[in-house]
Amino acid sequence: MYQFNLVATTSYMSLLPGAVLSTIWLSLLGIGLSLIVGVAGALCRTSTSWPLRLLGGVYVEVLRNIPLLIVIYLVYFGLAQMGLRIDGFHSALIALTLNAGAYMTEVIRGGLAAIGSGQYEAARSQAMTPVQVYRYVVFPQVFRIIYAPFGNLCIGIVLGSALASIVGVEEVTSWMHTVGSSSFRYLEAFLMAGAVYLVLAQGINLLRIGTGRWLLSHSPSAGRQ
Amino acid sequence: MLVDDDVTHYWRFFLSGTLTTLWISWLALMLGGVIGAVVAHMRISRAAPLRTVAVLYTEFFRSIPPLMLFFGCYYGVSYALGWNLNPFSSATLALTLTASSLMAEVVRSGIESVGTGQWLAATASGMRPLQVMRYVVWPQALRVCLPPATGVYISTLKDSSVASVIGYIELTRSGLLVRETTGSSFDVFVIIAVIYFVINYGLSLCGGALERRFRIVH
Repeated sequence: MYQFNLVATTSYMSLLPGAVLSTIWLSLLGIGLSLIVGVAGALCRTSTSWPLRLLGGVYVEVLRNIPLLIVIYLVYFGLAQMGLRIDGFHSALIALTLNAGAYMTEVIRGGLAAIGSGQYEAARSQAMTPVQVYRYVVFPQVFRIIYAPFGNLCIGIVLGSALASIVGVEEVTSWMHTVGSSSFRYLEAFLMAGAVYLVLAQGINLLRIGTGRWLLSHSPSAGRQ
Repeated sequence: MLVDDDVTHYWRFFLSGTLTTLWISWLALMLGGVIGAVVAHMRISRAAPLRTVAVLYTEFFRSIPPLMLFFGCYYGVSYALGWNLNPFSSATLALTLTASSLMAEVVRSGIESVGTGQWLAATASGMRPLQVMRYVVWPQALRVCLPPATGVYISTLKDSSVASVIGYIELTRSGLLVRETTGSSFDVFVIIAVIYFVINYGLSLCGGALERRFRIVH
């Protein structure tokens, strides 16, 4: 009969903080880089030149329809065969960025699409510089539209970072596998690692909900209602 | 020559892997659809405990990486419960759990798309709650659910690639085996990526067509 014993994992606890930090660091880098890729991709997709639009469209469709695991393998094993050796962490980061960047492109494009061209013209006619147009007119409106899908995407990136364990990155999922395979305490290790992901994912979720509340109370129409 | 290192000679292997991937994802989608529908009805129920359970269920599986679920369903279940699940059963279980939490949200949005006025009207016509669901809500909800359900199928298909880590021989695992035999990584993974792309892109086109077909004009 199996005896549930959480104490059995204590000897591995010293490895957990490093693993958690590794997951957080990989996720943060993934979010930051995919945001850059997403902005570039969205600008391509909404560009007036058709080759750029085509490039953006192909990028989004290809990366959205291929499993992240395959992208990781392509970067880690495939490029190594071509003579380009990238370590596990950076392979995972590149793959995660490419994958999440495609989703980010669509999220940002959706936000940009909601702003009519009249607003750009109006802002320009008020003698705003292009930077000012984006800073004061476009960004505040786009942010209100994209913060919710952006939050979901951030959760997706945290969950996707678990696949980095397959190419040897020491993060939370590989910690779970280490504990499980050396002490056979898979269930306990699963619960501990699961708790870490739950805290991270629900933390992002709460931030997202909080942002929504804040936006509602600071909306331009709030005072007039 | 002891080993045939021409990747294309292993096409039967890729084909059977593709069929296995399609099959296990379909199975998980169907099972997940049933569980998801139950969870969705709990979510809109009047009983607060049922609603809480449904929210916890969807949020839990939304917050756990699929890879961990595969490990949990394979090693966790066999060590903790003593059931010796084979890779197929474990992979189906893990994929079903993920798909069910996605389907729960899809079904819920489908049910909520039917306006409360229709519920009231149906009840006022003397229909019992089950009749309201059977004749008024479900037929309309189904139309709203089908297009996003293809999205869940795509997502499940992509997650099924992770089943390769517990040794289930689907498309990704087939590719890894061919890679070990022939020693060529790049070609193998490009072939695998193209197969996944063709299937998923085709499915997303079907989803788009369904969406246009079922668009409700107000």
